[in-house]
Amino acid sequence: MTKETEYVIEVDKLTKRYGDLLAVNDISFTVNQGEVFAFLGPNGAGKTTTVEVIETIRTPTSGKVTLLGMDVTKKKHDIVPRIGVLPQGFSSFDRITVRETIQYYSRLFCCMNTDIDGLIELVNLKDKTKEQYKNLSGGLKQRLGIAIALVNDPEVVFLDEPTTGLDPRARHEVWDVLLGLKKKGKTVFLTTHYMEEAELLADTVAIISKGKVIAMGSPEELIERNANYLALTLKPVDGKVFEIVQKMGFEPVLDNHKNVEVRVEHTYDVQEILNAIKDAGALYLGLDVRKPNLEEVFLKLTGEALREDPPEMEPK
Amino acid sequence: MSPRIISANLVVKLLNFSREKTTMFFVIAFPIILILLFGTIFMSQDNVEFHLCVQDLDRTNSSAHLVKTLKLNGKFKITDVDPAVNATQYVRDNQVNLVLIIPKDYERSFNQRIDTDDPNASVTITYVYDPSSSSVLTKIQILNSVFAYINQGLSGKPPFIRSVEKSILTKKYRFIEFFVPGIIAMAVMTLSLFSTVDSETELRQKGIIRKLSTTPITRTDWILSNILYQFILGVICTIAMLLVSYAVFNVSLHIDAWLLVFILLDVFAFVGIGMILTRFAREAQSAAAAANAVSLPMMFLSGSFFPIELMPGFLQKFAKTLPLFYVNEGLRAAMVFEDSMAALLDAAIIGVFAAVVFFLGIIATKWEEDK
Repeated sequence: MTKETEYVIEVDKLTKRYGDLLAVNDISFTVNQGEVFAFLGPNGAGKTTTVEVIETIRTPTSGKVTLLGMDVTKKKHDIVPRIGVLPQGFSSFDRITVRETIQYYSRLFCCMNTDIDGLIELVNLKDKTKEQYKNLSGGLKQRLGIAIALVNDPEVVFLDEPTTGLDPRARHEVWDVLLGLKKKGKTVFLTTHYMEEAELLADTVAIISKGKVIAMGSPEELIERNANYLALTLKPVDGKVFEIVQKMGFEPVLDNHKNVEVRVEHTYDVQEILNAIKDAGALYLGLDVRKPNLEEVFLKLTGEALREDPPEMEPK
Repeated sequence: MSPRIISANLVVKLLNFSREKTTMFFVIAFPIILILLFGTIFMSQDNVEFHLCVQDLDRTNSSAHLVKTLKLNGKFKITDVDPAVNATQYVRDNQVNLVLIIPKDYERSFNQRIDTDDPNASVTITYVYDPSSSSVLTKIQILNSVFAYINQGLSGKPPFIRSVEKSILTKKYRFIEFFVPGIIAMAVMTLSLFSTVDSETELRQKGIIRKLSTTPITRTDWILSNILYQFILGVICTIAMLLVSYAVFNVSLHIDAWLLVFILLDVFAFVGIGMILTRFAREAQSAAAAANAVSLPMMFLSGSFFPIELMPGFLQKFAKTLPLFYVNEGLRAAMVFEDSMAALLDAAIIGVFAAVVFFLGIIATKWEEDK
């Protein structure tokens, strides 16, 4: 890559409309080589539309998108052999086995030397090579999809909601595979609405809401910048603890389990609160101090929860 | 265009098909059922025999001889009706469409005509019939011609106008042999059209097309591999139909390379049409309805089942605009008439049509998801 194309992906003022629906609204960002870049946002935020424009599946309404130094609207045939894609809701031919499916996609890329066994091992499908696609569980199907996305040894891998719809165990199995990719130094563009996924895997997170990128940085930076506090949770015996904390000038809240939650700026604030409770002779059964997560960052930035949003609107 | 990609796609489609036992069964069984069903119907047209009920009120040797003459004509299987029953009631009660009544004085009048040559000696044969039956007029026509022949014999003079039949074919063919090429053309059309529409909408709905759009496969590779796949299925299906036709109906057809040419052109044309339909009707149900709208007029108007000469003039003109008409005509020219020039002309017409829909199919196939 030349000097001006040191970014693997450059999105400049991208806008995408479907009729009256503005799916992506003038967004810009860049992705560095070798990083895991997560596009985090609720359903309908514009994640899939953005990633599909970058993957050359959709054409932008306006703006410029460059992938591996090439304009995605003009160089599809040069770009496609160099990228790997796990589309949202990946599916394959029902009666084709795991091995045959990987071989098939390898042939589509005219790859003579695809390490089929290596890929099967990477996604941990060794015991399922002769299993037909229709007999695989959701997690296994996604892992096969990831293997297929790697048949051409791509320079950039796009994974569009790789764990959506999976149970927690299957999700962790997919994460293991993705951590393996990260270790290999692949550039990965990940879209997700699971903040744990973004926090665990991503070097850079871009938070997208209603078609706009509203914040971007490493997970730590985002939290530091937007949620610079500690969350103290106390499990009180009675109502005294709540009153004590309130009298100290903090703003405690009661959660669904009658736990007292309070946000403090410094660790010594925690110590002060505990001392005050002890001095007043009040009792608590347990406590938890934690840093906020991306979910809270998102809540702060948008005023909306990250999950339980309506399904992503399909283009007309 | 990449042969490697086309072959990869073809292999996957064939593997998937070979493991779908139900689909495989119907792809082969449907045309065989058609051949057996229509073959049985049309075989009987070659050797048609009507059921004729005769009420002989005379019960004499002469009237019995008349019944025997009708039987010897070979067109009738005769049932004797009791002279005591009411013929009209008999027709109603027994669901027969015609009872022929020989009058009581038949022998006396017959002898009078033979012995005295009395021109006034005659008998009246009565047909008691159900006019709502479609075959009754044919029966009456045959009976009238038999009686005309007997009357002419009684007059003692040889006929003035005689007729002789000369077929344009050197060999005598049965209707089933004209029918089989039409059924092959229709079965290959149905297979290509519906399987393209079904598989394209299914792959689109399952998101496989979206995944394929991120690989180097091109629309041309995709359609060509589909055509090759459908061609292989078409050949399998044709072999099954021909085997059944030879085994069950003992057909005599000329098989040469033209058969493969017309199967290929049939597939090319209808895979292309299928691709165009799925571009505009994206849901499985609407795509299937669109395929039906295309295939039904083809089936009934292009001469697969019925000769187009039986249709009104404007429909005959319309039939000649249908691609399947030329596949039917071409296959009959090759398999029945052994007329390579006629087959070439039909192949050229369907070839031009197939090329046009093939390119339109490529244009219509959209990998990208939006406009």
